[in-house]
Amino acid sequence: MNSSRSLVVAVLVLALVALHYTLRPMLDLRANVDFLVIAVLVVAVRVRPGAAALVGFLIGVIADALTPEAFGAGALAMTLVGFAASELKATFFADNVLLNAVFVFVGKVAVDVVFLLAEGRLGGLALVSQLLLWTPLAALVTAVVGLAVMALVRPSLERRRA
Amino acid sequence: MPRGSRTDSRTDLLIAAACVLASLSLLILPDGPRDRTAGAIRGTVVAPLAAMQQRAALARRSFVSHDSVVAIADSVLRRSQRLDELEAENGRLRGILGLGRALRWGFVPAEALVGRGLGDDHTLVLSAGERAGVERLAAVVSADGLVGMVQHVDARTSVAITWPHPEFRVSATSADGSAFGIVSAHAGDGAEGFLLELRGVPFRQKLAVGTLVVSSGLGGVYPRGIPIGTVMDELGPEGGWERTYLLKPAVRPADVTSVLVLRPDRGGEGVESVWTPSRDSLAVRRP
Repeated sequence: MNSSRSLVVAVLVLALVALHYTLRPMLDLRANVDFLVIAVLVVAVRVRPGAAALVGFLIGVIADALTPEAFGAGALAMTLVGFAASELKATFFADNVLLNAVFVFVGKVAVDVVFLLAEGRLGGLALVSQLLLWTPLAALVTAVVGLAVMALVRPSLERRRA
Repeated sequence: MPRGSRTDSRTDLLIAAACVLASLSLLILPDGPRDRTAGAIRGTVVAPLAAMQQRAALARRSFVSHDSVVAIADSVLRRSQRLDELEAENGRLRGILGLGRALRWGFVPAEALVGRGLGDDHTLVLSAGERAGVERLAAVVSADGLVGMVQHVDARTSVAITWPHPEFRVSATSADGSAFGIVSAHAGDGAEGFLLELRGVPFRQKLAVGTLVVSSGLGGVYPRGIPIGTVMDELGPEGGWERTYLLKPAVRPADVTSVLVLRPDRGGEGVESVWTPSRDSLAVRRP
């Protein structure tokens, strides 16, 4: 990844993190968009798995700092998803917007699953309803927003690649 | 697989493993160190994000609560408007109490009953009647001055005509006693219909604008010294031998809720010391 593309990706990640802490609280939905997952995946598909894991860890720690009861759970989830996304992207996927949306959906579900299991706060019916209802809904919303973000930044990234 | 690629993969794996280990370490931290670590991150890197989140939450709360806040503001406004009415009513009641203290004796307090219909603009139904000592032709006064005269007395209520009544007449004089005349309702259109006029003032007696006009005590109905109004303007001369003045009434009948009915014996004693002119010549009671 050349420096100009790196700059675009860095700005995009910062913007997504900012949106996560401004737009998301304003929406205040039960199935809310997860801009941090989008940010991790945007980075993951463009860097090596190690770097993706590191970025996921850092973003996860930032998220965990505001939810100390689950401190470390978000970092673990983001690390694993960042690493896996980078590996899978290199192995399976081309730069296709729709596939990226599916990728974001799966990534969000994976983050929630790892987070909820590592956190251990929810159990029984609450955990099941969260994983089978709210997590897919949130993943769907996140995928739609992720698709829009990809569509917005793709021309800029393609221009710099060319 | 080339050696370089294999090394890169191993490095990636090592970094990821380190991150996973670090995450697990954070997960199993005891409460104290965990809170201190989270607090340190919150106080530095995450501080701007936390501030943004707080502002966003506040913005959402204010957006969501906007309608209810507007409703509350409307309720408060409505209450405050009622408060103004209550304060005005309170002021009138204080005035009538002060007037009662100043008169000391010889009066009957009464309420002007609300709900007067159309066509009753010139009369007041009072809550006191013959049993309370109200007599026909007694003067009806408020803290501001002359309201009217009792025209009809029942056992428990009475009816008074107020100064806008076409038959209302009162012998009047300027506060310094230099000019005399007869006050009646001014037969004007629009706003002028709510004014009084002082007729029959000798031509040589010129009254300045703002002069207080009080009852003269002549005729025996109204005792001397009850404020009637203040001079606003001089109307055109009538025949050149007398002057007619337009008066601003001391009392607005629409604002009258509580009154005092003077008994004839109190009127005979005089009430000149009860009302005294204020700076703007409007009548006020002596405290």
